[in-house]
Amino acid sequence: MTALLEVQGISLSFGGLKAVSDFSIALRAGDLQGLIGPNGAGKTTVFNLLTGVYRADRGSIRLGGLDLGGAKPSRIAAAGLARTFQNIRLFGDLSVLDNVRVACHLRAATSMAGAILRTSAHRGEEAALRAYATELLEIFGLGDRTGEQARNLPYGDQRRLEIARALATSPKVLLLDEPAAGMNPQEKAALSALIRFVRDRFGVAILLIEHDMGLVMKVCEGITVLDHGVTIARGTPEQVQNDPVVIEAYLGAPAQEGGGVPAERRS
Amino acid sequence: MTASPWAGKAGALRPGTAAAATAGVTPFAVGLLLAAALQYAVGPAVGPFFSDLLIKIGINVILAVSLNVVNGYTGQFSIGHAGFMAVGGYAAGALTYYTSMLAWGGPQVQGGVFGVGSALFVGACLVGGLVAAAAGWAVGLPSLRLRGDYLAIVTLGFGEIVRVLLQQTQDVPFTADEARALSPVEMATHLGGSLGFSGIPFYTNLFWVWCFVTLTLLVAYRLKESTFGRAFLSIRENEIAAEAMGVDTTRYKVRAFVIAAFFAGVAGALFAHKIGTTLNPRELGFMKSFDIVIMVVLGGMGSISGATIAAVLLTVLPEALRGAADYRMIVYALMLVLVMIVRPQGLFGIREIWELPPFARRRGR
Repeated sequence: MTALLEVQGISLSFGGLKAVSDFSIALRAGDLQGLIGPNGAGKTTVFNLLTGVYRADRGSIRLGGLDLGGAKPSRIAAAGLARTFQNIRLFGDLSVLDNVRVACHLRAATSMAGAILRTSAHRGEEAALRAYATELLEIFGLGDRTGEQARNLPYGDQRRLEIARALATSPKVLLLDEPAAGMNPQEKAALSALIRFVRDRFGVAILLIEHDMGLVMKVCEGITVLDHGVTIARGTPEQVQNDPVVIEAYLGAPAQEGGGVPAERRS
Repeated sequence: MTASPWAGKAGALRPGTAAAATAGVTPFAVGLLLAAALQYAVGPAVGPFFSDLLIKIGINVILAVSLNVVNGYTGQFSIGHAGFMAVGGYAAGALTYYTSMLAWGGPQVQGGVFGVGSALFVGACLVGGLVAAAAGWAVGLPSLRLRGDYLAIVTLGFGEIVRVLLQQTQDVPFTADEARALSPVEMATHLGGSLGFSGIPFYTNLFWVWCFVTLTLLVAYRLKESTFGRAFLSIRENEIAAEAMGVDTTRYKVRAFVIAAFFAGVAGALFAHKIGTTLNPRELGFMKSFDIVIMVVLGGMGSISGATIAAVLLTVLPEALRGAADYRMIVYALMLVLVMIVRPQGLFGIREIWELPPFARRRGR
């Protein structure tokens, strides 16, 4: 089966620091994969490379056969790659509804003249967008908060709103950057159910960055482990969990202190 | 704030989407009627001083509401709005002046409110707007990749370049024969220089000013309530997230800039044809730009009603304070400082007046 998202050998250096070296990953439709690694391993940098915030020095990113190398983030979002942010980036002053409606932007077709004259086509489209956004928010349990300013939502709701907003762009692939950060155990349990639900209901492939190992092991079908920008392991949750290289990267081994994981130890 | 059971329902009742009365072109017609009422009922009743004040208010409302599209909606910081006003004013003024010279042998007003001269004037206002919009596009395209302070400096520089260029132009011809001797290119370089462009026919009246005010308000409001407005606002809220949601931020910033420049150009055209105006580059310098920025900041970044009310207040206030004579500007400045201390987000923040208590319970947005 051909991959939906195909990333091959992307690298990025900040000056002398190799943030990401030779990173590859392939996601098929409906995949649910995890990307883990210690702090500073380069996980978010990988997301920023995939979404066009940074431009890779080398390598290729293809989504559904379309080359996304060098495209700007809005183009990449239009191609079907959406994301959430580690440090929540909602449109704080806008209402919950408008946060989602901004992301509906890509499906709006009427012209500026149509909007100014309020043509019936424009009004129909606005009504459809509103209905769609409201429905999406209801699915995410935010149906009764549509009028609220996004900044006033509780933390867990903000995380969910970010996922809803990303889905409103009709993505093929969804990148979630630490969605469980700051959540309590109950919220985390609900989140893992939500992630599976999103995958099944919206048919998207999901790539998840997460520090909560319990959550990652529970929801992900495949895991890639990064350390110092280098892929040190890849496999099923069980394989990764028992991989000595991974354990070493997380817990440290006396002989390895301070240094990166040597390339020959990559599994 | 807690969740309000009203939020969802009120959202559906928002004036923007719900009221069938605002559908299509009805509000334009209402604006037209109001403008006619101002022209034929209010104007004659209040006399020339207050008519002039109402015209000034209208022009400032157009300026503030249009700058609000850039500074308020997209959160960019332009302080060159008077530059676009100057471009539009000079373009429109030159068009009516030279056309009048060539067609009628002199710059006298032709016809009444709906006469042939007024048709020329309205056309000139639109041309002025378009020329300013083109200038906005030319300035915006390269500079809107810059952020914050840098953009402010570029727009300030643009305003100053316009002012200096206009000051270098030559005297306007006073007779029809002199005007006929000039080629179109020469006409564009004979705009009065630093002494000002005098003789532009006084076509501006309450009717046309308030027609354009209606147009500006409706365009600003309807854009704000559409996909375009939401894209503008998302840029101001979080540019990285906006881009990640598929909003081409550079493109939308340029769009906002061009729309704002268009209406600034129209306002400039209305100003150029106002009774008592001698178009002078100095008057349209950065001090004027700052005045407009103050209106937007005072009204609340992103609020159309806020910008409108601030424009009214800041036009009326200096006149009302004439009694305070020398202390006028001190009182004016103190009031601004006070408002900024009490309400740093401006009068209405991002919201519209009808979205705030006591006018409404909590509404969507």
